[in-house]
Amino acid sequence: MTVLIEQRRKEIDLDKLVQRDRVHRSVYTDPEIFEFEMERIWGKAWIYVGHESQVKEPGQYFTTTIARQPVVMTRHTDGKVYVLFNRCAHKGAELVGDTCGKIKEFLCCYHGWRFHLDGTLLSIPLEKGYDGSGFGREDPKSNMQRVPRFDSYRGFVFASLSKEGPDLKTWLGGVASSIDNMADRAPDGELEVTGGAFRYEHDSNWKFFVENLNDLMHPMVAHQSSSLTARIVGKKELPADKPLPSALEILSPFTESYTFFDDMGLHAFDYGHGYSGGKMSIHACYSDIPEYNARMEKAYGEERVKEIFSVNRHNTVFYPSATIKGAIQTMRVVRPIAVDKTIIESWTFRLKGAPDELLHRSILYCNLINSSANLVGPDDQEAYRRQQLGLETQGSDWITMHRDLDKDEDLGDGHTYARGSSDLAFRNQFRAWKAYMSEGGR
Amino acid sequence: MSSEADMKAFAFHHRVSQFLFHEARLLDEQRWSEWEQLFTEEGTYWAPATPGQPDPINHVSLIYENALLRKVRLARFGNPNAYSLQPFPRSSHMLSNVMIDAHDEKAGTVLVTSRFLMVEYRRDVNNFFAGEYVHDLIEEGGAFKIRQKKASLVDCDGTHPSSNIYF
Repeated sequence: MTVLIEQRRKEIDLDKLVQRDRVHRSVYTDPEIFEFEMERIWGKAWIYVGHESQVKEPGQYFTTTIARQPVVMTRHTDGKVYVLFNRCAHKGAELVGDTCGKIKEFLCCYHGWRFHLDGTLLSIPLEKGYDGSGFGREDPKSNMQRVPRFDSYRGFVFASLSKEGPDLKTWLGGVASSIDNMADRAPDGELEVTGGAFRYEHDSNWKFFVENLNDLMHPMVAHQSSSLTARIVGKKELPADKPLPSALEILSPFTESYTFFDDMGLHAFDYGHGYSGGKMSIHACYSDIPEYNARMEKAYGEERVKEIFSVNRHNTVFYPSATIKGAIQTMRVVRPIAVDKTIIESWTFRLKGAPDELLHRSILYCNLINSSANLVGPDDQEAYRRQQLGLETQGSDWITMHRDLDKDEDLGDGHTYARGSSDLAFRNQFRAWKAYMSEGGR
Repeated sequence: MSSEADMKAFAFHHRVSQFLFHEARLLDEQRWSEWEQLFTEEGTYWAPATPGQPDPINHVSLIYENALLRKVRLARFGNPNAYSLQPFPRSSHMLSNVMIDAHDEKAGTVLVTSRFLMVEYRRDVNNFFAGEYVHDLIEEGGAFKIRQKKASLVDCDGTHPSSNIYF
């Protein structure tokens, strides 16, 4: 980092950007603040990489980015998963260019350096040329470098670019239970990524997407044209005495009333995490699949199944990089590209041991809600884009976070609750934002 | 091949091509209800999300719609609260390389492959989509109906901006 940049970062006064009840527009529009976020938030927090089921066998790899840096998740012959920087130790070329694949070892396309799947050096052509040079295989820099920390929780692999910080389990805190509930919904207790992925370009700041996940005042407005239309078309086209097709079961709840969303409630935790819903959500009213219920009861017993199904959360946010919907087994992953450009990936999971209908419903949900060509997502994207443009004005420097200020309920252990229409999730994310951005914070 | 058979094949190819051009024109001219009627009752529209995707059930798709979902999408086009459609996008579909891959005269079924290039314009931005169409058609009462229109984007597994209208 240049001295000039370091100097300018010192001049950024966080108290002038984020206050307890409002946030300054420049956090969404200033490219310099974006670069600073990449370093302080995305460079420190645990960032979601991928799921262990994407690298089931030794040799399988999956590539992605952390704070825009290319990384590769591998399964080594020792059976363990590694997260490495996707960079040759020699002249820096990316070692694999595909999103995923299977290899025996890494082979650099440029000068033929080879590395094991855990990143350690295998061979250098004419290695003797380095004799006495001060560089060679004894030097740890001759290996592919590992991302400073990586760990997984029930198959979900996260990595941190920072050597220091809380361990993954501590960092997940109260939202680890959302991952548990998603995995517990599998009769075999395990999840598996399947069914492909979407990558949806958003021409807007990453925080708009992350904030929107638990903004329960928007669905009935932004999604009127899709959800309400689906209800109307359904009423007109379908017999009233027959159950709704899954597609309409999925689309209809987006235009539930303010009261419905208020009752869903918001839960906030340390590090900016949180979820909405709890006992009920917009995913609570999907039709039963009897064969699935039977398999669950066989696996867990009636009591435990009741307990598992009694948890019905909407979006759980692992701030800043990922969000899951346990009740419908989907996940979205945030990859910031620039201050006004973000890629949102969307994944579906199979509940191991469950009948295929569950996966089919997850896939249908993703098609209808998360695809770039779907009926719901483009209206969210439109709102973020208009925010990105609107915040360029001099109209006001501030965005309000006042709704239900000081009305949060402290449930202990860093767990805070508020009704659905509160700005709690918004305030909680910015509390974490400020802590990460502070010198030595987090 | 006799010249008579040549002429017949040529005329049939022409008829099929004209149908595809007509279908594309209805989209570009936003004549949605006429477009909707080109499908059979069970007809599907499918835009896969991965090359060579075997089916729309076990893998996500950019769009997979039956008659009911097409009705929802098309009804939404006229909704005053569809904010991502304000202003409404305009499109231009170009079609070529029309090849008849299968034709069962008795059953009246035709499988046609073509290549397309589509531009979607909205708010000063042109988005380009290119790929392959496979039309699974059936002749009913002297007119073609679509059993399935499959639009496989050349970058179907790539990153995409929002798009609301049909490829």
